[in-house]
Amino acid sequence: MSFEIQIKFEFQTERRRGKMKWFRISSYVVLGMVVLIGFSSFVNAQEKVTLRFSDWHLAEAPWDKTLAEAMALFEQRNPNIKIALEPVSYKDKETKYTVEIAAGKGPDIFHLHAFSLPMFFDKGYAKDLTPFIEKEGGAKFLEPWYPLCINMMKHKGKVHAMPGDYMSMVLIYNTELFKEAGLDPKKPPKTWEEFLEYNIKLTKPPERWGVAVLGAKDPGFELRFSPFLWSFGGDYLTPDNKKSALNTPEAKEAFKYFIELYTKYKVMPPGVPTMNAQDVRTQVAHRKIAWEIGSGWSAPIINSINPELKAFDVLAAAPLPSKKKKVTTIWLSSWVMNPNTKHPKEAWELLKFITSKEMELNWFVKNRVTSSRKDVSEKAPEILKDKFASVIASQLPYGKVVPQIPQWPEIMDAFTTAVQEAFTEMKTPEKALADAHERINGILARKK
Amino acid sequence: MVKGSKRKFFSGIEIYGFLILVSIYAILPFIWMLSTSLKTEAEAFRVPPTWIPIKSTLDAYVSMWTKKHFGIYFLNSTVISLATAVLSTFFGALAGYGFSRFFFKGRKFLIGFFLATQMLPGVLLVGPYFKILSKLGLYDTRTGLIIAFLTICLPFSTWMMKGFIDRVPDALDQAALVDGCSRLGVFFRVILPISAPGMVATIIFAFLLAWGDLLWVICLTSTESMVTVTLGIARTVGEFQIIWPMLMAGALMGGMPAIILYLLLQRLLVQGLTAGAVKE
Amino acid sequence: MWIFFVLPGTILLVLVLGFPAFQSILYSIYPEGGGSSYNLNNYSILFSDSVFRQVFGNTVLFVILSVASHLLLGLGVALVLNREIFAKPLFRLIALLPWVVPDVVVGIIWRWMFDPVYGAFNDLLIKAGLISTHVQWLSNPKLALPSVIFVNLWRGFPFVMLILLAGLQSIPSVLYEAAAIDGASWWQLFARITLPSLKKMLVVALALDIVWEVRRFGLIQAMTQGGPGNITEVLSTYIYKQYFQFFRFEYASAVAVVMTAALLMVSLPYIWMISQEE
Repeated sequence: MSFEIQIKFEFQTERRRGKMKWFRISSYVVLGMVVLIGFSSFVNAQEKVTLRFSDWHLAEAPWDKTLAEAMALFEQRNPNIKIALEPVSYKDKETKYTVEIAAGKGPDIFHLHAFSLPMFFDKGYAKDLTPFIEKEGGAKFLEPWYPLCINMMKHKGKVHAMPGDYMSMVLIYNTELFKEAGLDPKKPPKTWEEFLEYNIKLTKPPERWGVAVLGAKDPGFELRFSPFLWSFGGDYLTPDNKKSALNTPEAKEAFKYFIELYTKYKVMPPGVPTMNAQDVRTQVAHRKIAWEIGSGWSAPIINSINPELKAFDVLAAAPLPSKKKKVTTIWLSSWVMNPNTKHPKEAWELLKFITSKEMELNWFVKNRVTSSRKDVSEKAPEILKDKFASVIASQLPYGKVVPQIPQWPEIMDAFTTAVQEAFTEMKTPEKALADAHERINGILARKK
Repeated sequence: MVKGSKRKFFSGIEIYGFLILVSIYAILPFIWMLSTSLKTEAEAFRVPPTWIPIKSTLDAYVSMWTKKHFGIYFLNSTVISLATAVLSTFFGALAGYGFSRFFFKGRKFLIGFFLATQMLPGVLLVGPYFKILSKLGLYDTRTGLIIAFLTICLPFSTWMMKGFIDRVPDALDQAALVDGCSRLGVFFRVILPISAPGMVATIIFAFLLAWGDLLWVICLTSTESMVTVTLGIARTVGEFQIIWPMLMAGALMGGMPAIILYLLLQRLLVQGLTAGAVKE
Repeated sequence: MWIFFVLPGTILLVLVLGFPAFQSILYSIYPEGGGSSYNLNNYSILFSDSVFRQVFGNTVLFVILSVASHLLLGLGVALVLNREIFAKPLFRLIALLPWVVPDVVVGIIWRWMFDPVYGAFNDLLIKAGLISTHVQWLSNPKLALPSVIFVNLWRGFPFVMLILLAGLQSIPSVLYEAAAIDGASWWQLFARITLPSLKKMLVVALALDIVWEVRRFGLIQAMTQGGPGNITEVLSTYIYKQYFQFFRFEYASAVAVVMTAALLMVSLPYIWMISQEE
């Protein structure tokens, strides 16, 4: 018996020895490769100062070209500085920056939404810019920017970031569909009651619905929902940001109105509970809905989704409807300097450049974003002549912003959960809102 | 292989029917991916969707290579994943053999330890690991990533290989030892060849784990020259839009190396022990 | 002698994973920024939070259903592919295809396929006459979790199939022939020969898949982000949210520790079993 085993054993090993030798050799080769790669990746010392600049826009058209050109211009003007461009994927940027900065590394200058700032400020991940600003002239230097924007950059009274793109949410509507429904495109709705009436006229399922909003847990959600809440006279939190204000009659009314657009009046297409901003824009692009709440980025994107729509001609912008007061949400991006940076002076030069009047105008001309600088958004003829930008800029003074506290993402998550539960009729709007109210109070009551 | 007894439980038709159903399930999304990758961006958003593109174009594929440096992504992913696959299978087989044949003190604890390191979610490990890497100067390198993936893979590789090695009878070890083979020799000449099917499964598993990872790659690299295929694909999901044709093209091209690896190794998968070795 | 085999792996694990893991556990107990006194605050918050309980329940449900479906389909396909089949290599390749797509990409693509208005999936079902109106796979609270599991089955069965196929290949055909000569039925062949020989592989596949599915993150995050409501929120997405969206590092660590402890408890019997002499 053992003889049989031996024969078969040798036979198999012979057959496989060739392959095994190959296997062993190749694993040594790979090991060698690995070691080589490790050594080859040690960076040589540089003579110039290299700044690491990170922005999610570097991974998207048309921004990537605009930024690359701008950075080349900066390098021309500052020959001792070299810029290393580091794209990052949009939804993972906070993850990446958090991990790197916590370990004492990270890019020198990076781009963030303003809504991320409270958390970054809280953890000390954004450098205090006061000394630099003082050198430039202090308050006078900050004058060209909208006060609201500068306030949002402040942490404990000190400026820790520079404002960037500043836009307001407006109605983006399809004038042709208006005409088809017998509505005058020059007379967009001024009140929320009119908004509902218009929607009912525009809704012809399954071909078309009136409007769509985001239902997904997406930062874009609060941009679109907040005007409803605020113009009804309600708010998310009490003015001291210590408790939830979702139990006021105004808040309940606003919430109910919003939910019933989907559940009762059915002027929204099915699937809203999981829609994100891109899904909504796609609907507009394909004439499935007549309008959405958007901003400067809307028309270009809708156009690229479906060029046949001729978005720039067919779409128009109008201020949002109101009830008790005129208000809209603003969208603000910001530029942060890494507290770990080894070249703060050069980094500040870059910051100044990016937020200069010249560059802010450049961002508009190339990418259609209005600026947090008054001397651009209110004065530049390019903006005033543009049919979208002019409306957007005109609404900036009515802009209101969500509470800038570190717990905000968690609060918004609880609130969006309530919206989804109400949309999908897992709970009545009243119950969903009440549950969110309780939960948010719990979040705020936590000892820090 | 079963030759089929006289009274079959499932008829041939049922077997093929099942297989075809499963194949449709498996391949359907790929057909959709292929279709979308050949469309223009605008048609990708068409309602109702078209399965056969009205206007087909190779634009997406070209763009991935020209506008998005797919070549670099490919190189990085291939090097990292191959190294991870080979190294983790090798070390896993080593450890698996150790656990399989030797009963030493603390063995249970060590097995448990191998297991336990796997159960913490990657989210928590990335931060501290990043700190270690940057201290070693391995941040933004392929080596750093290889070590990370290798370590994540290792316990799984060990378990799998231990499972396969357990089925190789100790008698074979003993026979070879009696012949004057060293333990290491037994490992290389007896165990590895016979557990080849298991090694194939482990290699492919480790390769795909390294290839498909996103979280670690995001946190441990920063420059364009270190981007992997998976990260490149993830980046087509921008703030405002998703470039579907490019995403699909990237995903399809990204799956090619794994498929090629499998095709190369599949013969090893099929060979197995012959009868004589098992009959007592 | 055993040291030589086991040591390289152990060193690697301790250095690369052990320290970070240990640090994370410490993080959950010691408040950030010092103090030598520990507090179990995070754990008490955790256990009294209704969302956490829901998330835990979701995870258990998700894991059980995913692993069970993987095993059933994987075993079925492996058995079939172990026979003489026409074009077997082709079928084997097709059955492995879902595995080559990274799970984040799987989530993104299937999410789009499930889209209620634009989705290819609805379109196909309508064309095939199976449904008449578009189904809201991901926003209908009753369908959301099943849809995610459906996609997870697609993504996950190839791995189990491959392990089991490798295991089946090593069952010598002589055993089957001998039994067939004795007049055994298909079922007897399966139950008396196949299953016992496969037992070890089945257990390996089961254990690996359980750990793997508890850690499943990219797929679910890309498809639903845990919604609608908290219906598809599982522990891994929950931890990610707490850590990277809410910046609650210590709380996230505590949840992770609980998750790890639960996993360890589930796998202890397995450890016991595989470390016994057979």
